Amino acid sequence: MRGLLLSLPLALMIGLLLLYPLTTLFWGSVASAGAISIHSYIELFRDDYYRTALLHSFLLSAVVAFISTFLCLAPAWLFANEEFAGKRLVRALYTLPMSFSGIIVGFLAVIMLGRIGVVPQLFEKATGSNYLSGSAYQLVGLVLAYLYFEIPRATLTLESALRKFDPQLSLAARSLGAGITQRIRLVILPLIWRPLVSTFAVTLTVSLGSFGVALIISKRFSLLPLEIYRAITGYGNKSMMAAMAITLVLLAFIINYSVRNWTLGATEKA
Amino acid sequence: MKLLMLSSMLVASAAGAIAEKVVVQYDCIPNYANWGGVTAAYATETGVRIPPDMKGSSAAMAALEAEKANPQADCAYYSGAIGYQAALKGLHQPYKPAGWEKLSDSLKDPDGKWWTVHSAYIAFIVNKAALMGKPVPQSFADLLKPDYKGMVVYDDPTILGTGFTYVYGMNAIMKGGPDMDAGFSYLKKLNTNILNYAKDTVYNDVLRGEIPIWINADGNGLKMKYVDKGDIEVVIPSEGTITMPLVMGMVNGAPHPEETKKYLDWCLGDKAQKLMAQSFFRPVMKINLGSELSKQFLPESAYAKAVNLPLSEMATKADAVKQRWSKEVNAK
Repeated sequence: MRGLLLSLPLALMIGLLLLYPLTTLFWGSVASAGAISIHSYIELFRDDYYRTALLHSFLLSAVVAFISTFLCLAPAWLFANEEFAGKRLVRALYTLPMSFSGIIVGFLAVIMLGRIGVVPQLFEKATGSNYLSGSAYQLVGLVLAYLYFEIPRATLTLESALRKFDPQLSLAARSLGAGITQRIRLVILPLIWRPLVSTFAVTLTVSLGSFGVALIISKRFSLLPLEIYRAITGYGNKSMMAAMAITLVLLAFIINYSVRNWTLGATEKA
Repeated sequence: MKLLMLSSMLVASAAGAIAEKVVVQYDCIPNYANWGGVTAAYATETGVRIPPDMKGSSAAMAALEAEKANPQADCAYYSGAIGYQAALKGLHQPYKPAGWEKLSDSLKDPDGKWWTVHSAYIAFIVNKAALMGKPVPQSFADLLKPDYKGMVVYDDPTILGTGFTYVYGMNAIMKGGPDMDAGFSYLKKLNTNILNYAKDTVYNDVLRGEIPIWINADGNGLKMKYVDKGDIEVVIPSEGTITMPLVMGMVNGAPHPEETKKYLDWCLGDKAQKLMAQSFFRPVMKINLGSELSKQFLPESAYAKAVNLPLSEMATKADAVKQRWSKEVNAK
């Protein structure tokens, strides 16, 4: 009972800041001229333009989440299990990009990878080719900019999960005569695949909602958050805007919920 | 102790904010048409602060629409067609600022729902150093040359009003009909040379050479040249250009109506008009600019082939044109 009472502020906050806006948004997506209609959702899935944006958003986020999860494995392991001089400072610097807003990351991408960006200019000096010029505005620039703030986030997520992992287990397996492949397959992977999957899911959903980076550098790679902004600023199409937003929320929710269920289910069976 | 100081500072600044008079103008980008200078001068003269606002025309209109039941802004500034559209949507209240009668009828709404404050023309703003030896383009035909691949930027018309004026006007420059195919056919060809469709102001990117050619208001380029001393040339394309009146309107249900009216009056006064002219936007009022400033404007002859687009038609077709641009130009 006391627990319930103590959670009241949280419940109020969720109601006010999550349920209320979501309900308003949902209502906006189905209400048209006094009647209920799902025509915006139908258009979203039927019209090539919006479908592509949805697909792009999902694919870009999945690719970024996959690369981030893979690349963050080593630093997360290091931060969770090793002690070294200056660890706190390194960790703080490493996770700094997470605190930048998307628009800042977009500007940074232009400075580093733009038409006269630092990297393309160095590359041109070294090789004489202007191949990298303007890559910020290409798909590769978008992926790199997303990785820039997603890798630190993935690292932190994975690190806290890895802290629960006991490195002694791997050592014990080794003293019992297990080789490196055996240890990875039988000891380490069974222990860390769940945190890996949930890191992937968290990173994917954060990318799905990211907007600022795409606003600055996405030349024509349409993404759902960008189209949501366009629908409202460009065409004043509230119902389409709301339908896209609800779809994005649902997609993120389904991904997180099913991943959680799946990993938990696997735990119970094991 | 630090915390205490910080919190007392916060309290002090909050108290300051309450005492201070404010007029909220949507689309008040400091680097555009010298709004930074105009609002600073107004604050010194009257103590009323007009905070900067980075929303472009379309975003400003969208915000006003979203806040219709509970307006936050007092007035807004737009490229003409979007201001006209906002008035059509009932987002403005009629107000006839001082000097109203001096404006010609084509530059204002008869009821005072919008009026022109200054005007500009669509031009190529060229950063010569960034062209790397290539000639400065003189015409829309030049812009299609492979020389300029990855060098051209114009504003995303679904978000920024200047971009919309350009996209809409391209058809008139190509002498196209009401189906707008001629304009869109050009924009599709230009697409190969586009570096990016700017969704936020790229003024500084042009100055530092990231963007060699920006299709935008001539005034912004002249300001880069004379105020920021950039290696900039402003070219009026030989096929012609588009006149872009920039308008203001008073928001329906403005929270500070009295202060807003005073400010809107002041914006058509000599001082404000001169400040806008110092950013090379052509004042709507006939004022004496002084010979030095007048000489820096491009000569009248450069604008001989300027097209005046009817704002009413632009406003009613705006949503369809933006949507078509998204699907036919941006998505390809």
